[in-house]
Amino acid sequence: MNDMSINRRSFLISTAVVGGGMALGLSSAEAAPAAPWGPDAASGAEFSAWVEIAPDDTVTVRVPTPECGNGAMSQAAMNVAEELHCDWLKVRVAFASIRRDFDEKGSYQTGFLSFFSGHSTGKQRLKTTLQLGASARERLKAAAAARWGVPASEITAANSVLSHASGRKLRYGQVAAEAAKIVLAKEPALKPQGEWTLLGKLSPPKLNIPEIASGKAVYGLDVKLPGMVHAALLQCPVHGGKLKSHDASAVMKLPGVRAVVVVDPARTPGSPVKPQSTFGFGDSLCQSGVAVIADHYWQAKTALDALPVEWDMGTGAKWQDAEAIFTAAKALRDKGPGRDIKKTGNVAAATGKRVVEGDYGTPYAENAALEPLNTTALVTADSAEVWTNTQDMAQAFWVAVDETGLPPGKVTMHQTFMGGAFGRRGQGDDLRMALAVARQYPGKPVKVIWSREECFRQGRYRTPIFTKMRAVLDDITGLPQALTGDVGYVGSRPSFQLPLGFSDQPYFNSGVIPNLRLTTSALPVNVLNGAFRAPCYNSHAFIVETFIDECAGAAAIDPLEYRLKLLASWDKSWSDCLRIAAEKSGWGAKLPKGEGLGIAISCWPVANVRKNGTVVAAVVRVGITPAGQLTVKQIDTAFDCGRIANQDAVRAQVEGATLYGLNVALNEELSIRDGAIIEGNFDEYAIGRMADVPPINVHFGALSGHDRLEIIGEAPVGPVQAALGNAIYSAIGKRVRRTPIRKADLSWS
Amino acid sequence: MSRITLRINGKAHSVDADGNTPLLWVLRDHLGMTGTKYGCGVAQCGACTVHLNGEAVRSCQVPLAGLAGANVTTIEGLAAKGGAKLQALWHELNVPQCGYCQAGMLMAAADLLKKKPKPSDADIDEAITNLCRCGTYPRVKAAIKRAAGVAA
Repeated sequence: MNDMSINRRSFLISTAVVGGGMALGLSSAEAAPAAPWGPDAASGAEFSAWVEIAPDDTVTVRVPTPECGNGAMSQAAMNVAEELHCDWLKVRVAFASIRRDFDEKGSYQTGFLSFFSGHSTGKQRLKTTLQLGASARERLKAAAAARWGVPASEITAANSVLSHASGRKLRYGQVAAEAAKIVLAKEPALKPQGEWTLLGKLSPPKLNIPEIASGKAVYGLDVKLPGMVHAALLQCPVHGGKLKSHDASAVMKLPGVRAVVVVDPARTPGSPVKPQSTFGFGDSLCQSGVAVIADHYWQAKTALDALPVEWDMGTGAKWQDAEAIFTAAKALRDKGPGRDIKKTGNVAAATGKRVVEGDYGTPYAENAALEPLNTTALVTADSAEVWTNTQDMAQAFWVAVDETGLPPGKVTMHQTFMGGAFGRRGQGDDLRMALAVARQYPGKPVKVIWSREECFRQGRYRTPIFTKMRAVLDDITGLPQALTGDVGYVGSRPSFQLPLGFSDQPYFNSGVIPNLRLTTSALPVNVLNGAFRAPCYNSHAFIVETFIDECAGAAAIDPLEYRLKLLASWDKSWSDCLRIAAEKSGWGAKLPKGEGLGIAISCWPVANVRKNGTVVAAVVRVGITPAGQLTVKQIDTAFDCGRIANQDAVRAQVEGATLYGLNVALNEELSIRDGAIIEGNFDEYAIGRMADVPPINVHFGALSGHDRLEIIGEAPVGPVQAALGNAIYSAIGKRVRRTPIRKADLSWS
Repeated sequence: MSRITLRINGKAHSVDADGNTPLLWVLRDHLGMTGTKYGCGVAQCGACTVHLNGEAVRSCQVPLAGLAGANVTTIEGLAAKGGAKLQALWHELNVPQCGYCQAGMLMAAADLLKKKPKPSDADIDEAITNLCRCGTYPRVKAAIKRAAGVAA
């Protein structure tokens, strides 16, 4: 362990000699000095540095950033490389230990953040990762300077080579061990963004693709341990119900079966210390269930399917179907008064003659990441080791402590690759259920797999939202003089009843609508709601932008022009996004009946602050036969997230998130019978395939150049949904106010 | 239980398991070859696609009992079976997002290119029925066309 440089009072960078190279660590300036991670790093043990430079020049960047497909892991490494001036081909990326935040007393909270998602370009992470690179580079230069007896300022560092005007050269790896002993008087200043050579300039593919394409990447489901056994899990079909009885003796003699264990939510041991979980435990609690443990998963699943089980379905069984729930939610909303979340002027005072009203809704939907939920755990009397894929390492760690009841220092956790998440792997209910099973079979690693059916029926679904909108249009301008929006949320989890995409949007914050009243109500039901890619925004964006389109229609103003008028006083990039997406789509051309273009715009996250979030405009082109057969022909999107760090990574996220939103709007809906989810697999829940995918054109022309490098994986999920519905209206004059659109009658004559 | 000998990626493997065990779980649990993925278990998603006697199949639907003497190629053996170029293009074109479905995508793509070295868009749409929740379809299509040397 070497020097401790204080950097802007937020974090400390420390160094150590590791394996003949240099390792850089990071810890909170307020906390105790970091634990001695150095010597253990080379053996791949629990403690590891954030950045290591090996004698052969290999740079290993260890991140707590989960990799759910958004490239966040590679982005962190790219940030380090920007300041380190190393050869990108020599950069490797690996997961940091999950327990490290606890051991180092908050080091994740200091700089790297264990939170999921594409926030690797977020202010704090960007600064931290750039600083690590700069710090390493300056230490390498100083080490070379000492060896050559020249001032460090005369040395240049590029492509993993240190050079001096005299012609002398050293590879980074040759002086890394000496660099680790360098004490810097102060941490180097970061380059201005304008001098970046990698970020925003090059678009390297994700570092883990060769492993993915060869089948070597280890996802949670691929963890292999000596003596490992497998468990298949079944939870009460009606959320909140309880296991009444089961007959283990009926399956104990089946091949490979070792045990049948019951999960009882009342038996969660609880954390022995005050937990520091990111979100608390309310969204991660155990559900009543039963599991079969066997040598192999197929044996466990076969035995579970044969296990006689009786449930007490509980009060949730009263809901005959989803429509009954939604009807109750709308009745509660209409009974009013809801909770005011925004109130300006006096909506009753408006006098315009044209009134626009609509009732809009979005149903339950399942995240449906392709890798089924799973976790592997080895629990003993006094320790636990866990292999999981989580969107938030700090949350997962404390859930494991809570479900084992062990002291935090006795819980070890390993992050694996993640086969998609879309919000589903953030709270830790998946690994809690696994631990509740594994701790009843101590001494053996137990891989607990949720079957696809279990994933579908035990989800933490998209919060259904039913909103009634009403506007009185100004007789002269056609813009809303007064507007009311009454939101009815469905679900007992308030953490996912969010106004994002609704009350934060500029229409309701710029002052353009003088009289406003927005309210919310919530109907608690047994069905568990949770995070779904851009939670609630993904519904609100559909609703708000469909309604705005209806206002434009009532005002007899082109939908693009109408939005430009509404947004005239807001950030110019909103108008730029609209104009560019429209222009590229061929907006304004006369189309035959049955063909149409629709436009929409929204911003995630937090749009009521100027120059914030990612603004996305989408234009969808549809063709509809008289019989009502819908074809999505083309999608054009334009966006502003400020600046971008990796253009191709951004393009991939916009493509993927647009397709995600398109499928949500077109196809996705879960059904309910007597309180239980019906759909169990992809034959009952349509996800678009290759043949269903329209051309998607991602346009970069609306980028404002603002220095925020905002996240991009969520925002595109919203506008495409409304743009699709608006295109249908433009094509055939039928307004779609409820998703999924596949259920709408789109026939015309 | 039955003992079955089959060839996987050119090597003989002897497996002692219930004859109903799907090839998917034989590969993953009995032989530790986890490149082949479980996604649905009902032949919907294609994440478990392997080549059985030269044909792309969904291994979750193939019971062990019928596999005596069969030749199986998995993602782990694709490079040796002429798939290295395709895998390199997957990297170059930044195809995968989470990557979980991509082993199956690659196996399906390799099968298509063997049967139709110059596939049209319609051929690709028809042959690649695998599910990708991340939405990598445009890139999968582009990589297949690049491999085939047909215009993007």
